[in-house]
Amino acid sequence: METVANEVSRGRSTVASLRIAILQFLADPQWLIPSMIAPVVFALVSYELFRGSGPYFLTYAILGAGMMSMWGQTLYGSGWATAQDREFGTLEPTIQSPTPYLYVILGRVLWNVLSGLFGGLIVYAVIVVAAGGPPALPDPLGFAILFVFVMLSLASVGVVFAAFYVYTRYAGFIQNIGEFAFYVGTGCMFPVVLLPFWTNPISLVFPPTWGLDALRYLAIPGYRGFGWGFWVDLLGALGTTVAYLAIAGSIFHRVERHVLEEGNLSQY
Amino acid sequence: MSATSFAIETRGVTRVFDSRKGFLFREVSRTEALKGVDLAVEQGAIFGLLGPNGAGKTTLTKILSTLLLPTGGRAFVLGHDVVTDAEWLRPRIGLVLGGERGLYNRISGRENLRYFADLYGLPTAERERRIEEILERVDLSSAADRRVEEYSRGMKQKLHLARGILHRPQVLFLDEPTIGLDPKSARETRKLVRSLVADGVTIFLTTHYMFEAEELCPQLAILSKGRIVARDTVARLRQLVGGDRTLEAEAYGFEDSEVSALRRLPGVSKIIEEEYGPRTRLTLRVRTDEIRPDDVRALLPDHPELEVKERRTSLEDVYLDLVEEEAH
Ligand SMILES: Nc1ncnc2c1ncn2[C@@H]1O[C@H](COP(=O)(O)OP(=O)(O)OP(=O)(O)O)[C@@H](O)[C@H]1O
Ligand SMILES: [Mg+2]
Repeated sequence: METVANEVSRGRSTVASLRIAILQFLADPQWLIPSMIAPVVFALVSYELFRGSGPYFLTYAILGAGMMSMWGQTLYGSGWATAQDREFGTLEPTIQSPTPYLYVILGRVLWNVLSGLFGGLIVYAVIVVAAGGPPALPDPLGFAILFVFVMLSLASVGVVFAAFYVYTRYAGFIQNIGEFAFYVGTGCMFPVVLLPFWTNPISLVFPPTWGLDALRYLAIPGYRGFGWGFWVDLLGALGTTVAYLAIAGSIFHRVERHVLEEGNLSQY
Repeated sequence: MSATSFAIETRGVTRVFDSRKGFLFREVSRTEALKGVDLAVEQGAIFGLLGPNGAGKTTLTKILSTLLLPTGGRAFVLGHDVVTDAEWLRPRIGLVLGGERGLYNRISGRENLRYFADLYGLPTAERERRIEEILERVDLSSAADRRVEEYSRGMKQKLHLARGILHRPQVLFLDEPTIGLDPKSARETRKLVRSLVADGVTIFLTTHYMFEAEELCPQLAILSKGRIVARDTVARLRQLVGGDRTLEAEAYGFEDSEVSALRRLPGVSKIIEEEYGPRTRLTLRVRTDEIRPDDVRALLPDHPELEVKERRTSLEDVYLDLVEEEAH
């Protein structure tokens, strides 16, 4: 007996998931206020911190504060959303639907990138106001494109993190430990080359490390960084991002099978 | 290729849960939630799975709806293996776990349905029309645009149901669909379930309530501690335990010798003793017509407050007997 069933479009599922994320945000827009205050504070602190540290301090300040206010949301936002799915009890019906959970995660990642970029814009605006003008950027358009790409590459790591949240309800605990190390290790605040040499290979496992180095090449004339130049950084960022997406694609399948074996989807 | 012509078939399905406690010194405790379940449900039927708390009803429902893997045995839905053909099955089956959870509370009922309609690949052109139709059917149209957090328990249950049938599943799994509903909503839910069967949907539902199973399910099985203890039509289940008559004797406690005396009456197949606060009730299952309430009174002369009455053996009695037997 053959029967027809609706064709599931993964793209449409991703858009549906993005839409739900936006609707949930709009349902309680007062969250906008803390998510606006944080970037303002980061921007002012960063501005003070880098002030007087050379001609390109403004760029350093913007990158530091911008990443600080964006990275958490982008990297862990989808994990949090999965933790929320557990809490709401929506993880079970979602997994039971014909759409692979990965595509639901992708929708949320897009939302996290968007809301992260919003924080980045606030940082930029605050620093421009504090400094009385924008920093001198040799290639503003290239910078903007690369910036968005760095956020997407950060999100690709976020997708892998989200898999842990599907895997176990204890993922949040593990994440709290790794959070700060990741932030420093990828050079969000200051260049990785300033860290002890032995940490560099670890840092290079993460796409944002490459992307941020590339960003500094683009924004700061005479920047040395890892010393292998802009294009190597860019290739490294692309390669690692693709690798993370591939890892995500393969582990999600296994994680889903694991949770069906364990039967822990309704626990939170 | 179909392995079976039944809508649902299980062969020796088992499920073990290992739950771990502690962090460094892990204690593992095993629960055998299902101990070899064999079932067959025909296409287009309503099948009721009845059982007390912890019997394994939810576990079996989740296994059949591809949300949990069995530890052993095999299960087929629409002729397809629930483990290896989950991808094929998911668009064709619906699951309603019900309860307060499982919905996005901060957004409207309609938006919840839109989301799941997309996850189930409902064609966009059809989506809004279908949602409207389903909302109408579960009587939720007027509340569709309110946030789910403002819904009553019964409205949430209706929304769960709406989501379960949105994509026109061929087999629908309902885990305790009327739990927590007031009698009117429960009745409406049962009416909806019947109308789905009229559309050709096969329904597998679990319940605590015997009367619900009696009303809805021509075929039912009773699950107790992970085992099917009975599987039959309602009419035959009724005959399964004792005869058709039940006598009840109630007083402030009985002596063991009195109970034994009753047990020796010809035709008494079973006596169940239950306590209600200070009072004790003896329920006698009687096979013959010979024993009357007066015969019981005669054997219990020392109880001035004694009440004895006769009533029809309900399916509830059958159910309690079966679950009880398993417990002894
Ligand atoms: N995720 C789990 N981890 C450990 N044990 C579990 C898990 N899920 C269920 N169990 C156990 O399996 C047994 C059957 O549970 P199940 O939820 O299937 O019963 P049920 O018949 O649905 O009960 P109820 O009527 O209370 O809903 C119970 O002993 C329960 O404690
Ligand atoms: Mg249950």
